[in-house]
Order: sequence, then C-alpha cells, then structure tokens
Amino acid sequence: MGDFLFGRTVGMLKDAMDGAGATHGAIANNIANVNTPNFRRTDVSFKDALAAVDGPPASGDDLPLVTTSALDIPLAGAYDPADFKITTTVDQTQQMRLDGSNVDVDQEMAKLSLNSGYAQTMGQLLQNQYTRIRAAIEEHF
Amino acid sequence: MGFYTSIEVSASGLSAERLAMDTIANNIANVNTTRTAEGGPFKRQLVVYAQKNAPTASADGAGDGGGDAASGAGVQVVGIVNDQTPDRLVYDPGHPDADANGYVHMPNVDVVKEMVDMMAASRAYEANVTAIQESRSIDGSTLGLLKA
Repeated sequence: MGDFLFGRTVGMLKDAMDGAGATHGAIANNIANVNTPNFRRTDVSFKDALAAVDGPPASGDDLPLVTTSALDIPLAGAYDPADFKITTTVDQTQQMRLDGSNVDVDQEMAKLSLNSGYAQTMGQLLQNQYTRIRAAIEEHF
Repeated sequence: MGFYTSIEVSASGLSAERLAMDTIANNIANVNTTRTAEGGPFKRQLVVYAQKNAPTASADGAGDGGGDAASGAGVQVVGIVNDQTPDRLVYDPGHPDADANGYVHMPNVDVVKEMVDMMAASRAYEANVTAIQESRSIDGSTLGLLKA
C-alpha cells in the first residue's frame, strides 16, 4: 500500500524519524547519566542502514533494478533492498574523566541539538510530502 | 525508544540531580553540626548514581537492532552514603563537645567542595532540562504532521 500511493519517500522519512527518535533517547540517557561513575555512553547509528534501504545510487541513465519479493527473478545488477535496522552500540572507548565515565556533556549537547534539527527537517519534509499528496487528491491547490 | 520515553529518561536525570542538590544543601546547612542522633558530628553525605536498566548490548558493541533495549532508561540514585574522611578537628576547649585535649570534632564538610558539587549538579540539571525541551520540539514537529 505504501509504495503505490505515497511512493518511497514517506517510508524513508518515517525510518529517518524513527532513527532520530532512537538517537534522541540514547543522547537523553547519556545526559541523564552525566554524573554516573563508570558509565559508558551509547551511540545509535541508522544513516548507513537508511542509505542501504534505497540501494546503490543510479549510475548515469540506468535505473537500478530492485527485487521487491522473494518470487522476483533477480536480473544482473539487481539488488535486494536491505531491511532498515537501527543499531545501538555501547561506546567502549577510553574514558575521559576521572570517575571512569566517557560522557562529555558538551559533545552530547551538540549531538542533541544536531539530532533535533535533523528530526525537525525530516518532519518538515514529510509534511511537504503530505501536502503534495493532498494536492493530488483534491485536484486543486 | 519513543519520544515520550526519552522525556522520562531526562526526568530521571532531573530527580537524581535535584536529590543531589538537596543532599548538598543539607551538607552545607550542617557544616557546624557537632551533635547528631547517631552521636558524634554530622557526616558529609554523598549520593550514589547508578544507571537504570543497564544495556543488554554485548561488550563488542553488537546491538539487538531494535533500538529499545540497549540505550538504557536513565539514571537513579541507589543510595546516600556517609563520607568516611576523618572529622575536622578544631581547638576550642570551651566548646561543650570538646574532647579531653580541647579539640572539637567538626563535620568533614568542606563548603567550597560542596559549592563546586552544587554547580556540577545544577549544570547537569540544566542539561536534562534542555534535553526535555528538545524532546518537546521534536514532538511538536511530529504532531504538526497532522496539520498537513
């Protein structure tokens, strides 16, 4: 249903917002534990997975072939779209504080603000996409 | 990890830091207290922070991909413990709590240290408040989709 009416954009933006939500949760947790001794910060990565969902970029005039079902016969150069997957990792890198924690609150605040901007951009893009769909449905602007 | 969960995570940070500030205020208020219910001078108190719901991700960094389990559920204060450093000794033979040599056992509270701890807790509190504000602004932009 998603693809034929809304195209792939809505699904991708949804995945991006899911990823931003998970990232925000991890950063909030890192900030909440800013005074916890021996705390290890967590990182969320989803942007590589998001790029893999769409597959390799088209080269020149060629549109890449995609297999969308297990019954499809893959042609040369076709690829399987990967499932979108959010990965959460515990950052085990060297501590930077005397209490054994590796949380740098300045870095976390910067990431928080960056991620918030990203989430709002994705929200805005999604809203624009819905506006376009509505324009197509209502036949007037 | 939904947006409302992340507000709860930040809220756990707020209550932990507020408890830390309460404890520090109590330490400063009792900087000269020589009599307590347990006997002896007041002991400086410290809060012990611990992570809530330790991550289930393995040490090699492989997450479960769900994004839920591994990022933790905030912070909690697991206890308030007494600082075990020795009492401050002040020579004041006229004091009713002075020992045989004329020394009074004063609390092991250092006001300057408390003020520094207070600032750290206060800044951490502000950081959590900012995280909640960002949560709310992301929530707002998501809810704005309904108006599209």
